[in-house]
Amino acid sequence: MANKKSSTPILKIKNVDIVFGRGRKEFKAVSDASFDIYKGETVSLVGESGSGKTTIGRAVVRINPVRKGYITFDNRLINGKIPEEEKGQFIKALEEELEIASSMPDGGAKVAEIKAAINTVKTGKITFKQSRDIVRKIQMIFQDPAASLNERATIEYIISEGLNNFHLYKDEKDRIAKIEKIITDVGLLPEHLTRYPHEFSGGQRQRVGLARSIVMEPEFIVADEPISALDVSIRAQVLNLLKKFQSERGLTYLFIAHDLSIVRFISDRIVVIHHGKIVEIAETEELFEHPLHPYTKSLMSAIPIPDPILEKNKELFVYEPDKCHDYSVHKPSLVDIGNGHFVYGNEEEIANYKKIRG
Amino acid sequence: MAEAIVKQAFDLEKVSSQSENDLFYFVESDSVSSEKITALRYSYWKSVFRIFFKKKINWFLLGLFAFILLMSIFFPLIFPYDEMENVINTDSYFLSPAVAMSKYGVSLKWLLGTGPVGNSIFYGVWASAATSIALSFVCATINMALGIVIGAVWGYNKTLDSILNVVYNIIADVPYILIVSVMVYIIGSGFFPFVIALTITGWLGIAYFFRTQVLIIRDREYNLASRCLGTPILTVVKHNILPFLTSVIMTILATELPGYISYEVFLSYIGIGLSAETPSLGQMIERAQTGFISYPWAFWAPVTVASAITVILYVLGQNLADASDPRTHM
Ligand SMILES: Nc1ncnc2c1ncn2[C@@H]1O[C@H](COP(=O)(O)OP(=O)(O)OP(=O)(O)O)[C@@H](O)[C@H]1O
Ligand SMILES: [Mg+2]
Repeated sequence: MANKKSSTPILKIKNVDIVFGRGRKEFKAVSDASFDIYKGETVSLVGESGSGKTTIGRAVVRINPVRKGYITFDNRLINGKIPEEEKGQFIKALEEELEIASSMPDGGAKVAEIKAAINTVKTGKITFKQSRDIVRKIQMIFQDPAASLNERATIEYIISEGLNNFHLYKDEKDRIAKIEKIITDVGLLPEHLTRYPHEFSGGQRQRVGLARSIVMEPEFIVADEPISALDVSIRAQVLNLLKKFQSERGLTYLFIAHDLSIVRFISDRIVVIHHGKIVEIAETEELFEHPLHPYTKSLMSAIPIPDPILEKNKELFVYEPDKCHDYSVHKPSLVDIGNGHFVYGNEEEIANYKKIRG
Repeated sequence: MAEAIVKQAFDLEKVSSQSENDLFYFVESDSVSSEKITALRYSYWKSVFRIFFKKKINWFLLGLFAFILLMSIFFPLIFPYDEMENVINTDSYFLSPAVAMSKYGVSLKWLLGTGPVGNSIFYGVWASAATSIALSFVCATINMALGIVIGAVWGYNKTLDSILNVVYNIIADVPYILIVSVMVYIIGSGFFPFVIALTITGWLGIAYFFRTQVLIIRDREYNLASRCLGTPILTVVKHNILPFLTSVIMTILATELPGYISYEVFLSYIGIGLSAETPSLGQMIERAQTGFISYPWAFWAPVTVASAITVILYVLGQNLADASDPRTHM
């Protein structure tokens, strides 16, 4: 796990609203979401179906534009607009980088890149070059392995699509070597390269999806429920591959899941989202030991216990927002209650949570 | 029955005398072989043609079409058609095959008698078929190419979408025949003016259709995946969208190709077709209609050829569309 206190986050999501449609048909899928992800860690985004997890994941890869707030990657704005009052601080950080880069003998390209980044902070406009750079660094693994592969393309084409777009190889021989290496790395065979996706099992397809992302040598991967569509027997295989690539390449993951059970074993921190609002953020063990928000508790109670008697007598906790909270007087917000533990609530609730925790 | 049980018991006894180690051995779990795919290699186009040629009717229609095509290309080269050769002999007009042959001698030329100006119907039909087939292929190629390319961009580009939607709504409200007629009046009625008249707005409907298809496919997850890999739009169209539309393209082609033949016939029939010096099936039909009852050969020969080409192209196109739908490949 990365040392969070000292490093700056690699991905920063701040006060993000994501809205579909315009005017009367407007639908706010995510409201005021904020969380940070540090280099090398796995952050899981957990919530029920329709809570806006995919929507956030897609905002990170810039498929969904954010209506309010912003997302930065490596201190560069990648989605949304930075509000006036925060611009100064971003520009200052970038200018420090600029100073270091310009003192380097061959920092020319870097200098130009940082200057462009400063400009982006000011204008909120992302250039074509920046956009390509983000694409290469942030990759996504999709929820449905069947729908996310082009059925009319060979596995070779699918895996090398990103390589072709960015010419990430010296020559044809190097390209073949790269895709053959990655396909064996995910446990498939080079002879599969001439095949079509429909000839593969779900687990194999998901590994093809993994291969095409990893071959781009990204720094960050959004994994949108990569194992939900898979048979239980092959889930571990895909999870282990994700872990392997993370330790080999120092990858950072935003892992999306709809139940807490699998998340415990792979994540460093967990973000719980309910109806487009983030209700709790904490380190994995902290969250499992001290779940505070009633929605998190209800998710916990939904985890199956591998004991028939206990499971049968288990009391299911149902979360009903209207009964749990009274937000008519004091408005709620996401508050840090210590130990890097954030909970969504109003003053009274927060005081209560602090008491339970402290 | 009893004998079998005794035998089995005997076998068991023999087996149990051997040690467990001789009977069982551990199977190594072989992760490589569990990944192997044993199904035959799949190739899209091979499967398309396999399915297409499995139907006997397609062989037959293809043969028939090849015959008509070759005849219409080579027959006029060997036996040039001159509509006006007998125009001064008014007694050569509308002769039945028998009368024509007794008058001019037995020959292929008079196989179908003569037409309204003493012209050979048999020669005329082939020369005209060439025009009709060429016209339909040229127009279909232009309209399909424009339609697919513009339709694909139309589906992707928001600004173009709002402009083209207005253009489409205006033009789609004007009857196509009216546009073509006006165009023919303005730019003349040779072969190429006719092509221009049929293609100047002809691609628009096809493009609109493709725009809708692109909108349907565009946001599927594998296209989002391509976007995340930084694939340029044209590559996405070529590799992610068009391959899914081959069967739809074939279906459109199956209606477009015969469609232009019908347009030519119809426009000639109402008197605004190709110019007199370009022989065409439509003209032959139009000129023979006065003698429809009394001189049926002059009318039915071009009608038969026009209908045959239309039906053959339509059925072949539909069958190719079926074959290019991968759901039929299993
Ligand atoms: N393109 C879109 N247009 C309009 N509404 C959308 C769009 N995409 C998502 N939504 C809506 O946003 C909400 C959140 O959807 P999202 O896909 O993010 O849910 P999710 O948390 O990923 O759920 P699941 O676990 O089922 O994948 C849903 O109510 C959905 O209907
Ligand atoms: Mg989702």
